[in-house]
Amino acid sequence: MKVQDVFEGRVAWKFGDDFDIDLVIGVTNIKYYDPDKLRSVLMQAYDPAFVDDVRPGDVIVGGRNFGYGHPHYPAMIAMRNAGVVAVVAESYAPGFWRGELYQGMPLVTVPGISEAVERWDDVAVDWKNATVRVGRTGQVLQGTPPSPHAIDVIEAGGGLNLLRAQYGTGSSTVPPAAAAVPHPTSERVT
Amino acid sequence: MGSTITEKILARAGGLDSVVPAQNAPFRPDYMIAYDYPGYTDVMFRQMKEDFGIERVKDPERYVLFIDHMTTRANERELQMHNVTRDWGRLNGVEVHEGVGIGHQVAAELGYAAPGNFLVHFDGHVSGLGAFGALGWGVRKDLLEAWVTGAVYLDVPASTRFHLEGSFSEGVDNRDLLHHIIATYGADACAHQVMEYAGPGAEAMSIDRRQGLCAMAMFTGAVSAIFNPDELSLEYSRRVARDEFEPVYSDPDATYTATHDVDLSALSPQVVLPGSAKSGNTRPIEDLVGTRLQHAYIGSCASGRIEEIRAAAEILQGKKVAEGVRFNVVPTSKKIYDQAEAEGLLDILTEAGAQVAQASCDFCVGYASPLEPGDNAISTGVLNISGRMGSTDASIYMGSAYTVAASALTGVITDPREVMS
Repeated sequence: MKVQDVFEGRVAWKFGDDFDIDLVIGVTNIKYYDPDKLRSVLMQAYDPAFVDDVRPGDVIVGGRNFGYGHPHYPAMIAMRNAGVVAVVAESYAPGFWRGELYQGMPLVTVPGISEAVERWDDVAVDWKNATVRVGRTGQVLQGTPPSPHAIDVIEAGGGLNLLRAQYGTGSSTVPPAAAAVPHPTSERVT
Repeated sequence: MGSTITEKILARAGGLDSVVPAQNAPFRPDYMIAYDYPGYTDVMFRQMKEDFGIERVKDPERYVLFIDHMTTRANERELQMHNVTRDWGRLNGVEVHEGVGIGHQVAAELGYAAPGNFLVHFDGHVSGLGAFGALGWGVRKDLLEAWVTGAVYLDVPASTRFHLEGSFSEGVDNRDLLHHIIATYGADACAHQVMEYAGPGAEAMSIDRRQGLCAMAMFTGAVSAIFNPDELSLEYSRRVARDEFEPVYSDPDATYTATHDVDLSALSPQVVLPGSAKSGNTRPIEDLVGTRLQHAYIGSCASGRIEEIRAAAEILQGKKVAEGVRFNVVPTSKKIYDQAEAEGLLDILTEAGAQVAQASCDFCVGYASPLEPGDNAISTGVLNISGRMGSTDASIYMGSAYTVAASALTGVITDPREVMS
């Protein structure tokens, strides 16, 4: 399924700077992957009604260095299960950024977003161009667009899907991108 | 315009004449390292075969596997996981290093981290290999991309330079420097960059301390950390390197995002409050002296090297660990363990009441010797979020090996300078 270019949703929550994403499900739950379990604990420390109020298409907003620490995957799996389709933050911790990009989550870097939005604002997020239009104020914020490779990853639905499309068994004739590096690479030996 | 050491290593790994920050391209690592861990290597082994039809990797010498987690308790599931790793290694001709210590340290001892090399891992603490003028980058699940294609897409990072002057005072070490840097410059001071350590203070710093310092780079938001090679690291590398290596160095006119000057002799012991390594949580030790503890730990990929074992032995020689304190000392590799044993350090620590264990990651993640609810611990581990070392209702403070040993001695957070004089 093609990823939409523009998400029309609401700001389901606004997090502060250096936010450790594990906290949205609680550190005790970072080893769970079961959707029902994750739904039952998501945002319980912040807003017990979050999972009932959030709608498919909503986004979450972060401050600077969003995803600090040792970010585990279940927290964002839980957010995605709840309907969150993108993250807009002032900046990202590199581990979180790389880990969630691999999962195919559109991560949009937009300085000033923390000041520009309030919870439940309607927003239109053009992730590829890194722009956010805030319905309440009409303000349009311009961020830093992702690299062409990051766009490929998000459009493929994550790093694994992109790799499968390029190198998967019985798959396409897409030239292997990493073959651009002039060294021998791993080859299939069956 | 000159290049940083990081840019030169990546240019070589990318088959390019030069690179500039923010450039996105595939880079070919010299070594692609992993430790076996549920949900990571077991999944990757399966994906390599089922999704990509790779039954055997073509250039197995570039793949490196460690068994260093889940070594302290044996149950059926763990045994099975380690067996899967051993089998995959055997089938592919890939070396599996087991029973020799924490991989981030052993990779140095076995000569993978030669100056100029580029190494990737899914775990970000591989940055510790920057001590040798190598670039270690934790690429998380994109390690699969490297395993499948031989290269991995990365954004070339800019660098921030830390110009170090002076030398550490007694009872102060690289951990205090690292926490000082986070506290002073912020938890995202080097976001998506490489921390480059330079200056006379860097050149005077021991290999052990360089490794511990580089291993913690991610807590400033950095993707890695690096020292330019010098006689100390070159001498080490000449002894152990697996391959011929060609060091590269930052040019004098290389461009940095920022340069910060730090006088090592002005530093004092720092303690991180429970919750996170981030900047607001670091305090001078004076603010926390007297905090009661039940647990103390020296070890992890960021500590537990011979100098830290020596520091603990110096503080505890002829003395006893405070009653009610469990003090785990875990040398980072078998080599370090053996050296500490040969120097008599382990006897001193054991006599003092410390529990010394063979190298393993398990103490840092609470898999071995987990904290009970209500425990206060002081640790040289890499992370202190609640639940990291056991119960989520325990509190983990972090400090240097000097601080941990001094605190184990008294049972409360203690300024090591007080017990060393």
